[in-house]
Amino acid sequence: MTPDVHALLGAYVLDAVDDIERAAFDRHLRECEVCRMETDELREVAARLADGAWSAPPPRLRENVLAEIAGTRQLAPSAPAPARRRSPGRLRLLAAAAVVVAAVGAGAAVWTIQDQRVRDARQLAALAGQREARVRSILSAPDVQVRAERLTSGGRVTVASSRLRDAGVIMLAADGAPGPGRVYQLWTIRAGTPASAGALGEGQSTAVQVVDGMPGASDVGVTVEPAPGSATPTTPLDAVVNLT
Amino acid sequence: MAERDIGGRPDYLTPVPGPGTAPGAEVLLAAVARGDEKAFGRLYDLVAPRVYGLVRRVLRDPAQAEEVAQEVLVEVWRTASRFDPARGSATSWVFTIAHRRAVDRVRAEQAAAERVVRAGVAAIGTPYDEVADEVTGRLERQQVRHCLEVLTEVQREAVTLAFYQGHSYPQVSELLRVPLPTVKSRMRDGLIRLRDCLSAGVAA
Repeated sequence: MTPDVHALLGAYVLDAVDDIERAAFDRHLRECEVCRMETDELREVAARLADGAWSAPPPRLRENVLAEIAGTRQLAPSAPAPARRRSPGRLRLLAAAAVVVAAVGAGAAVWTIQDQRVRDARQLAALAGQREARVRSILSAPDVQVRAERLTSGGRVTVASSRLRDAGVIMLAADGAPGPGRVYQLWTIRAGTPASAGALGEGQSTAVQVVDGMPGASDVGVTVEPAPGSATPTTPLDAVVNLT
Repeated sequence: MAERDIGGRPDYLTPVPGPGTAPGAEVLLAAVARGDEKAFGRLYDLVAPRVYGLVRRVLRDPAQAEEVAQEVLVEVWRTASRFDPARGSATSWVFTIAHRRAVDRVRAEQAAAERVVRAGVAAIGTPYDEVADEVTGRLERQQVRHCLEVLTEVQREAVTLAFYQGHSYPQVSELLRVPLPTVKSRMRDGLIRLRDCLSAGVAA
């Protein structure tokens, strides 16, 4: 899989990816609500390109299609997807996860999506509005410093930190979730001592976590821990981002 | 967003290629999902010219285009219940199916061709400037054409080569001689810019 699957968004929308990439991106979309939103939105844009291809079909096409559908059974509506559970005290996965990661990587373009009349945004806003505003305020701080490191297990962790806001954001975009019974856990390291900044749920590979007082920390670390997370790291660091 | 509500226009009129040409597509598709064949006929009239035109643009071969367009429209009937209005417009849903099918056919053909002739990059197709000219030259919808012009050259080429020619992003990268990551980001940036232009409602 491509290191940054999110970078495929445009190609995915334009059907310019191969089957493997498509599957990887579909998986990514299941985990990331805002990515789904952006995908839906850009797909709507791509569909407008069909306007430019208008061409009168042969009249027999209509007859053929109508004849065929008369003998074609329709699919039943699919059951609605089960709502995702979140446990309090656990790092809450901001739906915006990968989009925020992309916003850091690709400039402010993504945020304009949020700013604009996104139809589905209401749902999401209710869900993540406050946290999102927080993330945004940190990312837009004039003194924000952004650092990124690769995960040994594949993927990337990006840390944005602002002294003005006295806070930071950890954005994790792993290539995949760790095996069953294991989770990614985030740590801030102060004076050599790690403190948990939250653990992801099982099966989750992307997260955005706001950390208060981040500028006081020297490093941000990521480990893979037994679910539901550990009090102190029990495994070697999967990635460490130096903040000094 | 792609659809503008044109209240009051009777939807039995022949659709004309103009902005927001699909009043009632959502309503029709919902009726189709309930097995309403008459509604399907009306939906057909609304979308078939764009479905056929798009598939034909991508495939180039009218006979194949007709075959694939038929598959697409039957697929619309078959899977109508899966359309989720919260995720986009009905027409966009239809054209997404159409585009995917057309591209799948192109890829299958390319795979077959590559097995027979060990075709290199040269077999991918016509030079991009010719393609871009043709695409732009034939665009009928003023707004889309205008907005494509707003894109940078690489953005426009990346988007149109993928969308109208069914090229994968590695193929686009070869054709434009720009690195893969650049192609990927130009595709996305291009769509974002296109969106901003289309939603600004700028007329050409």
